[in-house]
Order: sequence, then C-alpha cells, then structure tokens
Amino acid sequence: MNIIYINPANLTTFIQQLIMRNKVYPFYFVIGALVLYLLFFVVPSLMGFFYAFTNWNSYSSDVNFVGLENFELIFSAGQGYLHYIANTIVFTVVTIIVKTVIALALAVLLTRGVRRLAPLYRMIIYLPAVLPMLAVSLIFRSILNPATGLLNTGLHTIGLDFLAQKWLVDPSWAMPSVIGVDTWKGVGYLMVIMIAGIEAIPSEYFEAAAIDGANSWKSFRHIMLPQLTPVLAVTTVLNLLYGLKVFDIIFVLTNGGPGHATDTVYTIIFDEFSKGRYGVATALSSLLFLAMIGLGYLVIRVMNRDIEG
Amino acid sequence: MKKIIYATCAFLLVALLIAGCAAPATTVPAPTSAPPTTVPPTNAPAPTQPPAPTQPPAPTQAPTKQNITLTYMASQDWIFDADQALGKKFEEKTGIHIDFQIVPSDQYFNVLKTKLNSGEAPDIFGGQSGVTDLKLQYDVEKNAVDLSAEPWAKQEDPLVTAQSTVNGKLYGLTYWDTLSGGWVINYNKAIFKKYNLSVPTTYAEFKALCQKLLGNGIQPLYEPISDGWHHVLWFPELGPRYEQVTPGLADQLNANKAKFADNPTMLTVLTQLKELYTLGFMGKNALSDAYADRDKIMASGKVAMTVMGTAFPQEVEQAYPDVKADSFGFFVMPLADNQLLNLNPAGPTKFIYSGSKHIAEVKAYFNFLTQPENMQYYIDNNPRALTLPFPGVKSKFTPELQAFMDAHKDKRGTVYQTAVNYVNPQWMDIGKDLVAMFTGTLDPSGVLKNIDQRRADMAKTAKDPNWQ
Repeated sequence: MNIIYINPANLTTFIQQLIMRNKVYPFYFVIGALVLYLLFFVVPSLMGFFYAFTNWNSYSSDVNFVGLENFELIFSAGQGYLHYIANTIVFTVVTIIVKTVIALALAVLLTRGVRRLAPLYRMIIYLPAVLPMLAVSLIFRSILNPATGLLNTGLHTIGLDFLAQKWLVDPSWAMPSVIGVDTWKGVGYLMVIMIAGIEAIPSEYFEAAAIDGANSWKSFRHIMLPQLTPVLAVTTVLNLLYGLKVFDIIFVLTNGGPGHATDTVYTIIFDEFSKGRYGVATALSSLLFLAMIGLGYLVIRVMNRDIEG
Repeated sequence: MKKIIYATCAFLLVALLIAGCAAPATTVPAPTSAPPTTVPPTNAPAPTQPPAPTQPPAPTQAPTKQNITLTYMASQDWIFDADQALGKKFEEKTGIHIDFQIVPSDQYFNVLKTKLNSGEAPDIFGGQSGVTDLKLQYDVEKNAVDLSAEPWAKQEDPLVTAQSTVNGKLYGLTYWDTLSGGWVINYNKAIFKKYNLSVPTTYAEFKALCQKLLGNGIQPLYEPISDGWHHVLWFPELGPRYEQVTPGLADQLNANKAKFADNPTMLTVLTQLKELYTLGFMGKNALSDAYADRDKIMASGKVAMTVMGTAFPQEVEQAYPDVKADSFGFFVMPLADNQLLNLNPAGPTKFIYSGSKHIAEVKAYFNFLTQPENMQYYIDNNPRALTLPFPGVKSKFTPELQAFMDAHKDKRGTVYQTAVNYVNPQWMDIGKDLVAMFTGTLDPSGVLKNIDQRRADMAKTAKDPNWQ
C-alpha cells in the first residue's frame, strides 16, 4: 500500500487539485458545440448518404431514388473508378510510409545527432509546410518540366542524363513524382511532431540503456520507438486522412494525368460534381467518408493495442 | 503599468475589429468635374419598367460613371492584349472595371462548371458556343441572361448566333473569329522547300513526309498536349471526312442510331493519330509541350508543322517580326486521307451570369465591344483574329489565306463537336483518353467506346428522348 505524505502547508492546494481532478461538468456545457457539430457536419453527411442513392444532377430539379445504381457504377470494371480508388490507396500507403520514415529519421538526427544549428535546420525543413500547396505545386510543375525544368536541366549539366525523366508526363513516373513533391512538403510538419515526441521521452531511459551497454540502434529500437508509438499513431491517422482526401497537389501538378494515371477519388468527385452528376459524386464521397472513419478507427485501435501490449 | 498597456492594446484591438466589420460604403459619388459619360449607342431606349415575361428584355441603358468591378472568367487562351486594352478603354469611359480572371485551360471547364453549379459564377463567364454545350455545360436557360434584344444581336452573323441560341433566345456574344477557316496544319514553307516536300493529300504521303523530316533532324509536328485540349482537335475537326465517308452519320449519331465505336473511319483516324505520336513525329516532349509556346517554337524553324488557325502566321509575325506571315502555308489534316476543310461556326463566347448584380453594366460592356471602332481595334490588334462575325469590319485575310479558302470553297463541312450532340462537353475527357491512348493504357477503340459511354450518360441525364 502506498502512503502519501502531505505537507500541511500545501493541504489546501492539494484538496483543490483533487476536486478539480474529480470534477464532473454538467452535460449542457457541451450542447452548444454538439449542436453546431450535428448541424454542420453530421446532418450534411447523412444528407450526402441519402443523395448517394438518388439520381440528383444539375440538369433536372427532380431527385429520384435509384437504389444502388451509383454504387454499381462505381464498382463496375469498365468505368475506371476502381483505378482511381487504387491510385488513392497507393498514394496514401506510400506517402504514409515514406513521410513517416523520413520524418522520423530527421527527427532523430536533429535531436540526438546534430546539435549545432539544429533549430535552424528544423526551421528550414519545416518551411515547406507553411507554403501554400498551390504555390508549391506550380513551382514544382515548372521544376519537373522534362524539357525546360530545373531538375532535368541540372541533371544534364552535370552529366547525369540517364537520371533525367519525363517526371509528370510519363505514366510510370507521374505518381512517384507527385508523391515526391508531397513528401517534400509534408515531411517537415511530421518531423516537428516527432521531435516533440522524442524530447518528451525521459533522458534517464537512454542513460540507463547506455550504462547497460545498449548501442544506438538498440536504444532506438527498444526505447525510442515504443515511446513514440502514440505520436506515430497520430501522424499515421493524419497522413491516412490526408492521403485519402488528396486533391489539390494532384489537381495542380498533373490534373489527374497523363491520361488518368494520377486521378484519385477526390479529383474524380470534383470532376463528377463539375459535370453536374451530384448523385455519383456524393456516392463516391460517402464511400470515402466511411473508409476514412473505418480505417482511422482501425489504425487507432491497432496502435493503442501496441501501446497496451 | 502593465495593466494600462494591456487595456490599451485590448481597446485598440476591439476598435480595429469593429472598424473591420463595418459595412463598406455602397456608393461612390461620380466625379463632379467631369460630366457622366455614356456608352454608345446613345439612342438605346432605357428599360424604365421590367419587361413583360413573354417579351424579350429591352436593350440596356448605358450606365453612368461608377465604381463597379465586373468579374470576367475565361480560359487562358481566350483573352488577348486587345481584350484587356478594350477593357481599360471601357473603364475610362464608364468607371466600370473589368477584372479578367484567367484560368489554366486544362482546368477551366471544371472550375467554371463547379462555380455555376454552386451558384458562385462571375458576372461574365466564357464558354464554347454550340447548342449542346449551352444546354448541358452551362445550362444557359438557368445560368445566363437573354441577350436577344441587345442592339448587336441582330447584326451578328446568323450562323454564329444560331450556336448561342436556345429555344429562340440568344444567350451569348461570340467575340471570336469563327469565319476564317478552322484548325488546319500550318507548315513552314522554307523547310518544305529545303527537303523538297509537297503538300500531302493522303495519310501515307503525310507519314512519309514526317519520316523524311525526322530523318533530317527536323521535328515534324508541334503538338502541345499539356494544355489538355489542343490534341483533341485532330479527331472531331475531321467531321467533314466522317460525313463524306458515311453520309448522314451526324444525324444518325444524334438520333442514337450509330455509335462512334462502330465507325471505321474514326478508328482509322485515332489509329493514325497514335501512330504519329509513337513514331516520334510530335517530338520527345509533346506531353509537356504548351500551347503558349507555339509562336516561339514555330518561329525558331526547328519544327515544320503545327495544327493552328489560319491566323497563326500573322500571330507569329507580330510576336517575331523577322518571321513573315507568308513563310507559312496551310493544308487540311490528312488523317483518313481527309481533303475537306473543317469549319466551325461555334467558338469562345461571352455569357452574362444570371445571378450577377451588374447585368445592365455587363450589357453595356457588350454594347461597347460591338461598336464598329472597337471591333476594328480588336481585329487590328489581335493577331489571332482576322475578322469578327459582324458586318462593317475590315478583315485581315492574306492572299495566301484567300487562295486557300477559295480552293476549298466546295470542299468543306462542319466539325463534329458542333454537328454531333454531346461531343464538345466531353472535350477535356477525350483529351485525357487520347493521352492514355498515346501512353499505351487505352487503345483507339477504347477511346471511341468511352466517347459513346459519356454521350449516353449525358443524354440520359438530360433526358434526351433518343436515349430513353
């Protein structure tokens, strides 16, 4: 049994803290936020589910129930929607892995490796995160131009012609190029979160491990990584939701091209909406909504299980 | 002391917040030193009362000087220096500023339709005319203003107004050169002469010519695919040829009694187009080549041919005075052995958004644009325009062009994006499919099947009786 000794001088403070800790606030405190959330998020989402089963379009004011017709269209092989879903999954999975690995490596490097001018490096790496996606995409569109772009021109100048590619216009290079630009932009943000996570790990753990003879890799594998799991759970969910909803970077860099090589679910939702086929667009966005909720929940459960384990 | 500083800061912030939230002044008085200027025509009757529902709206009264900005959204290749100069001139006369919102061409229609569908369109929006487009792309009966009673409406060429008319009402002003021939192959005469080449009359001759050029280190064609629309021209612009091989095809397609996928001539055209790409005739970087570079590339003399309008040589001369317009010649696109000239009375057109708060001002702007001196200014200062579809303007036809037009006087026809329903609204989709065809992920028959599928989708959505 643990016995807590309290200094009588601090008794009042201790009691106040105890009250605060156990305080149960009344439910009506949350009603305001809940109403706004229901009104502007839940209700439109439910309406979206309803319209997903209709032929709602811009050419007619009549909205008729069509059952699963929109979903049949989405999942029929000849329509190309499965390709867009596959592209979205590829983008999401690859960006999660690449961004997390690079961000983690940079975070470790700038907390436990490079000490001198580390804040400056952090700031430089974080800088792309604050730039507007539109500006970044337009700049990279110019840099990656196969004929006049900075990248290929540079490669030709230093004699590395074999590395020059048709970055955004070759179907086999377009998606990797988009992923590359997205990684460049997003890795700084994740790095900052991970640095905060690493710095929250008590240094005594590493010191004890060092005394026990653990090398850097073992310290990383058995101390840092397990301690960072909650942070990794957060970044993975953030990346997952971002990846599934990706739109702006693809719209500006490739507009889904070449052909349909980089079209994703959101670019197609935009396309369907612009064509006035609201029913199909809402069916797609409803599916994506469910996928995001399901996958987000799954990731959190898996990560939490790891923590509990 | 700190409390005083905090209180001062808080007070200033609140004051700024209130000032920021304050409603802006709604009116700005006209300058008293200058009399109110009106935009011609001065004899246009003013709409003193709302028009009766069954009658067309009355022509617009010219507004007085006022501080108004009209937003005008258009695709990047539809706005020229002459447009902006006329916009400034209009502003000088009326005080009404024209804010040109130029959108990249590969994204334009998606952006425009999204704005129209969400009720957030600009005062003026640009769109391609053509009855199907007007109904399906822009839903002009809902989104645009009836311009039938405007003074210029009766002066515009009837062939052109027909493309902007739905159920007897005119909805758009086609301020575009639609009369000086369609998209043809502009070729560099000096290169042709150097390699002893003559104008091809069949696809086989055209292919042999391209191979000879490529063999001599000259890129045969400049095809700017990155814009998403230009490479599509090769297909529907050959409508006259499809019609020649299969008379009545356009009618059959419109009646849903024929399919693109079943037409062998269309399959031939796409197969040959793919061959042009895969043989490298369009260059190594066609997928990233941009329409905006057309003048520079063709003036450089490194590329022999490109598909452009008949005004292109003058456009090059204006941009590069050393390269004279007569250094280029024309011939029709010879895919599927085509020898017919493609004409299109439809073109980029200006519409007034029905939700605009400044409809009268936009009408005045349109009236201003269609004044003879302003139209002539536009023609004289826009190399892309050789004429406008209005009487009384002096066109800029060169002897070369006149001879070309005369040679095709009896060998011409209407392009399929205008003759066949549900083709033009899917222009950018066809563009994506063609790129997929070039890069090997779709075959020519797949492109045709996709066109049929999209036509069926649009027709069913529009409740076209031929598809029910």
